[in-house]
Amino acid sequence: MADEEEEAGFEEELDDGSGGMDSSGHGRRKRLFSKELRCMMYGFGDDQNPYTESVDILEDLVIEFITEMTHKAMSIGRQGRVQVEDIVFLIRKDPRKFARVKDLLTMNEELKRARKAFDEANYGS
Amino acid sequence: MADPARIKTENSLEKEDFTNEDDPKTEQTENVPESSADDTKEPSTQDHPKDLNAEGEATAADDEEEGTSGQPSSKRLKVEPEKKKEKRHKVDEDEIQKMQVLVSSFSEEQLNRYEMYRRSAFPKAAIKRLIQSITGSSVSQNVVIAMSGISKVFVGEIVEEALDVCEKWGDTPPLQPKHLREAVRRLKSRDQIPNTKCKHILFH
Repeated sequence: MADEEEEAGFEEELDDGSGGMDSSGHGRRKRLFSKELRCMMYGFGDDQNPYTESVDILEDLVIEFITEMTHKAMSIGRQGRVQVEDIVFLIRKDPRKFARVKDLLTMNEELKRARKAFDEANYGS
Repeated sequence: MADPARIKTENSLEKEDFTNEDDPKTEQTENVPESSADDTKEPSTQDHPKDLNAEGEATAADDEEEGTSGQPSSKRLKVEPEKKKEKRHKVDEDEIQKMQVLVSSFSEEQLNRYEMYRRSAFPKAAIKRLIQSITGSSVSQNVVIAMSGISKVFVGEIVEEALDVCEKWGDTPPLQPKHLREAVRRLKSRDQIPNTKCKHILFH
């Protein structure tokens, strides 16, 4: 049952590799996130084998998103640099992303503290 | 790969890491809690009271009063976290328990999907390279962490919207490009997709 989809995906990959002509214009770059995006799409509700064109479209969207955010972050706060505060500021209106960033940064701090405490305990003994 | 036991040990491993600390907040694991807006305001206001403090100490008593009136935000930060920690502690515990009950009743396929949902992530190296190629200068690790996290949420929003579109049009799951494009169009109309290329001029 998965064979047909895999065949279609395989053919599409050949086309993509040779032509690189994409409506969004990013097709020429090598695919950065193909594997991870497939897992992510499955996790978010798509089929276990998503179409390769869909994965490509999503990758282009993600790269465009990151590019836009980076440019915006460079233009506010400290010019020419991207800092966490700028990202948090840009995200402030979107509740999901805002909460997610806060959680991630908090977790990172906690993990750093835990690792440091662990290392000090080891060093002491 | 789909090892139901592994998902539970993920949680217990996190707890083991924190046994050295007495912080009650360590009950929090990787769950994505819907934290209230108040929670998120605290760290962002922490920078300002320090500035106000410095100004207040430098001059006379009047300014010190101003300093203390500017200070309540830092005093509030000390008193509120105590109460809020307890409330958050209970809310998190409830939520953690509910999540555990839910996950324990998952079918094999659901467990697979849930594992993929939690574990999939963008490679930090590639994201860092991408951001650095745009800025031209190096970025800190926190920026990479924040950016990959936001991108994952972004992908999730698009896929969820696309699944809505797919269902509405009476199609079946493997998502097709037309679903994704319609999803992007809808999200754009809701301003959830940043776009600095087209500046719409209102009156001309």
